[in-house]
Amino acid sequence: MRRLVFTSLCLLVVLGLVAGCGAVPTAQVVKETVEVPVTVLAPAETGGEAETGGEAETLPRSETMYFNGQQWNAVVGWNPYSSSMNNAMAIAQQDNARVIMFETPYLYNMLDGKVYPLLADGPYEWDAGQTQITFKLKKAAHWSDGTPVTAEDVTYTWDSNIKYSTNAGNNFKDYIDAIEAVDAQTVVVKAKLGDNGKAVNPLQVAAYLSGNYVIQKAWTQTLEARAGGESTAFMADAAEDVVWSGPYHKHFADDTKVVYVRDDNYWGQDASMWGKLPVPKYLAHAMFKDNAAGSVALAQGEVDVSQQFNSNIQVLWLNYGLPISTYLPEPPYGIGASLPTAFFNLKSYGLDQVAVRKAIAIAVDYPTIIANAMTNQSATFDQVPRSLMNPTPGEQALYDHDAVKELQWAGNDIEGAKKLLDDAGIVDTDGDGWRELNGQKLSYVATCPNGWSDWQAAIEVVAAAGKKIGVDITTNYPEWGVYQTVVTKSDTPLPEGYDIFMMWSDGAGPTQPWGRIRHLLSSEFVGMTVNWNGNWGQYSNPRVDELINAIPAETDEAKLKEMYTELVNIYLTDIPSFTLMYRPQSFHAVNESVWTGFPHQGDGTNPPVPPLDCTDGWSIACLYNVNLVNP
Amino acid sequence: MKGYRRYFLNKALWFLVTFVFAFLLNFFLPRMMPGDPVAAIVARMAQGMSNASGVQAIYEQYTELFQTDRSMLEQFFTYVRNVFHGDFGFSFSQYPRTVASVIKASIWWTIGLQFPAIIVGWLIGNTLGVLAAYLKKGFDRVLMPISILVSNFPAFGMAVILMVIFGFTLKWFPTSGGYGYDLIPTFNWQFIWSVVVHYQLPFWSIVLISIGGQAIGMRSMSIYELNADYVKYSRFMGIKDRRIVGYVFRNAMLPQVTGLALSIGTMVGGALVAEIIFSYPGLGFTILNAVMGQDYPLISAATLIITLMVLVATFLVEILYGFIDPRIKAAQAD
Repeated sequence: MRRLVFTSLCLLVVLGLVAGCGAVPTAQVVKETVEVPVTVLAPAETGGEAETGGEAETLPRSETMYFNGQQWNAVVGWNPYSSSMNNAMAIAQQDNARVIMFETPYLYNMLDGKVYPLLADGPYEWDAGQTQITFKLKKAAHWSDGTPVTAEDVTYTWDSNIKYSTNAGNNFKDYIDAIEAVDAQTVVVKAKLGDNGKAVNPLQVAAYLSGNYVIQKAWTQTLEARAGGESTAFMADAAEDVVWSGPYHKHFADDTKVVYVRDDNYWGQDASMWGKLPVPKYLAHAMFKDNAAGSVALAQGEVDVSQQFNSNIQVLWLNYGLPISTYLPEPPYGIGASLPTAFFNLKSYGLDQVAVRKAIAIAVDYPTIIANAMTNQSATFDQVPRSLMNPTPGEQALYDHDAVKELQWAGNDIEGAKKLLDDAGIVDTDGDGWRELNGQKLSYVATCPNGWSDWQAAIEVVAAAGKKIGVDITTNYPEWGVYQTVVTKSDTPLPEGYDIFMMWSDGAGPTQPWGRIRHLLSSEFVGMTVNWNGNWGQYSNPRVDELINAIPAETDEAKLKEMYTELVNIYLTDIPSFTLMYRPQSFHAVNESVWTGFPHQGDGTNPPVPPLDCTDGWSIACLYNVNLVNP
Repeated sequence: MKGYRRYFLNKALWFLVTFVFAFLLNFFLPRMMPGDPVAAIVARMAQGMSNASGVQAIYEQYTELFQTDRSMLEQFFTYVRNVFHGDFGFSFSQYPRTVASVIKASIWWTIGLQFPAIIVGWLIGNTLGVLAAYLKKGFDRVLMPISILVSNFPAFGMAVILMVIFGFTLKWFPTSGGYGYDLIPTFNWQFIWSVVVHYQLPFWSIVLISIGGQAIGMRSMSIYELNADYVKYSRFMGIKDRRIVGYVFRNAMLPQVTGLALSIGTMVGGALVAEIIFSYPGLGFTILNAVMGQDYPLISAATLIITLMVLVATFLVEILYGFIDPRIKAAQAD
C-alpha cells in the first residue's frame, strides 16, 4: 500500500511539473485575454489596416515608437465617453487632451499658451456680446468609417455628455448652455450667461474646445441602443466597435502591453492639416510595475519616450553616454507646470496664526527638496520666485514681479523664522526646546501618502525645518486609500494627524493660471462632502473669491495683471499653503537610439512643440517631425 | 475501512467549518479597513475636473453602483448570492472590468511561474537535504553553509543579483516582461521561445531561495531518521545503502509534503517580488494593488481562491496521510 501511495505521489509530482511547464503562458493562454482587435470591426471601405492581431508577430523596431509612464495596468476599454477605461494613451480629455485616437476641435500648446485648430478650420470667434463662440470644422475631416465629421457630431457629443452625466458634461454644464449646428461645418457654442448678459465663464467655454473629444453621432446612437439609454451601461461599455477620427487606433491590448496602429486613411494627411501621416506606424506601451523597471527599459533602448519620473536622469547620458535626453539639457531638464503644495490645516492649534505658518514656510530647505525629491528636475525658487504661477513664460508674465518681491521667500531662512515667532510672542517658555502659544506647545504632524517617495522626501524636509525653529513637526504616512478619504472631506475640520499635508495643483492649460488659483484658494470647496477640487486646508477670504469670480470675464490685460498680482500678494501674505517644488506637466525623456527629432528647447519648430510625450495637445506634432536615426 | 470513513468524515466536517469562517473573514476583513474605495475611483476620474457638483455626482453614482452605502449585512447577502452564481462582480479599481476577467488575465502567468518553481525547488532542495544527511563530510560541510546563506537571502536581493549578473552584465536573459517587448502573442516558435527566455530569471529567483530552506529541513529530518532503529536494523541485515536511503527519504518526507501542499495552496497569491522586479505579469501585483486600492470584490475573490486552494491542499494531504501513516488515522479517529 505504502509503495503504491509513494509511487502515485511521485507520479503526481512529475505530472504536475509537466503540467506546470505546460502552464507557462503560451500564446493560446495569452490570447484568451486579448480583446477583439478593433480592426476586425473597421469597415472595409476605410482601406485601413487589416491586421487581426495575430498576423503581425513582431513589431518592427523601425516602425514602432515605444512609450512608458502613461499606462500602468491593463486597458479596460475604448469608450471615449467614459473616464474609467484606463486607456491612458487613447483617452484623456484634459487641458492638453491626448489626441492619437480621438480628436478635439483645437489643440492647446502650453509653450505659447495658444490653441491651434485640429478638427476645427481656423480660429474660433466670440460674438461681440461675449455670449457664444462660433467655429467651423475642416471639410477634409472624416471618421475611420469614411463619413465626414460634421457639426451634428459636435452637438450630439455635447448632448450625450449632458444626458449621460459624463465627466465632460458635469465639468462644463455650468458654463455651456448648448452647442448647436448652424450647417454641416459650422458650430455655435452658447455660453451660460450671468446677470450682466455675458458668459458666466468664457475661459471654461473656450477650454471645452481644446479639452474634449468630438465623437461620432452614428456610433453614439449605436452605443445608446446597446446601453438601453441607461447611463451606467452607457459609460461601462468597453466600446470595441468605436469609430475614431485620429491617426491611430487599437492594434493589440493585454495585461502587459497596448499597441496602437496607424490608420493610413487618416484625414489629417490632407494639406489642410498635417499634409502627411505621422511617421511611426505603431505606438506601443509596455506596462512596467514601477518606475525603476521603466527606467531600466529606457536605458536599454526598449522605450523611446518616457513619461515617468526617472530618478537622476542625467546619469544616463553623463555617466553611461546613452543617447538619452530631456527637453532642457541642464537642470531642471523639463518645464515646470504644476506646483506640488503643502497645505496648512487652518483649524489646527496655532496654524491659524500667520506668523507660525510663515515661519515654517520660510524655514524649509527647498534646495534640498528639489535635489532629493526631484533629483533637480525642478526649477529652484531662486530661478523662479514663488507665486501662484508655474514657470512657463506665459504665466510668469501675468503678475507684477516687483510688487511682490518682498514677499517671495526662497527658504532656509531659520533666523528670519525665529525672529518672526519671537516677535509674535511665540517662544519657548518652559525650556523644553519647543515653542508655546499661550502656554500650549506647538506640535504638528506633517503627512503625505505612503510610498509616494518624492513627496515623502519633501515632507521630511518640512519636518526638519520645524525642528530648527522650535516647532515640533513629526511625520506620518498613511496609505493613499486612507489619506485621500480624509483629505478630500471638506465638510468637517481635518482630523488630528493632518496639520501639514501635501496635495497637487493644476498644471498648464487654457484656463490657467485661473483654474489653479481657484483650486488653491477658492472657498467654494469648503463644505463639500467629497472635495477633489482643492483648497483642502479650508481657507476662506471673500476678496480672493471676488477676484476669482471676476477674472474669467476680464479681457483688459492690464487689469488682469493687476488682479493676478493682488492674488499673489494675498497668497504670499496669508500663506494658507506653500509650493514645495515645480513639477513638469509630463515627464519627458527620450532615447534617440532609434528615433530622433523629438522636441527640445530651441529645436526650431514654429509653433514650438511642447515636451508632452508626442501625444498631448499640440505636442502630437512631434509624431510628424520624428525620423529614424538609421533610415 | 470503517475507521478510515470516520477519519474522512471528521476531516470533511472540519473542512466545511473552516471554509465557512474563512468565507466570512474574506468578506468582512477587507471591508473593515479604514478609507473609502469609491473616493479612490472618483480621484482617478475627477482629475482635471473643475466642476464641484460634478465630482459629487460621480461620487454618488459610484456609491450607488458598488452599493458601498448599504449596510454591511446587506452587502454580504448580495455577495453570497452572486458568488454562488459564480459572479464576483466588478473590480472597483479596474471598473468596468469584472473580477473574473482581471483574475483570468493574470492567474495563468502566476500558476505558470509558481507551480514549477515550487515543485523544482522542493525536489532539488529535498534531494540535496537527504544527500547532505547521508553523505555528510565534505558535501554537508559545503552544502549547509550555502543553504543557510541562500535561504536567508531576501527574495528581492536574489532577484536583483540575478538581474544584474544575467540581465545587465552577461545579457543572457531579458530583464522585464513576460514576453518580448516587440512581440504580439501568436502561437509560433518565436513567441514561445520569447516566453521561455523571459521566464528564466523570475523562475530561478524563486527556486534558488526555496532550495536552501527545503534542504535544511530535509537534512534535519533525514539525520533523525538515519539514527532510527529500523535503519540500524537494515544495515545489520546487510540491505543496500541505496535502498536504505529510499526508506529514509520516504519517512523524512512526511512533514515536507505538508509544506509542499501549503506552498501549492498559497501559490496563487503570486510571486510578488519576482513580479515587481522583473515586471512579470501575474496575480501577486494585482492583489497588492487591490489591497492598496481597497478593491473589495477583487480582494475577496483572490483570498477566496487562496483559501479554497489551501483548504483543499491540506485536506488532500490529510487524507493521504491517512493512507501513508496509519498511526495518524488511528489517532484522529479516536
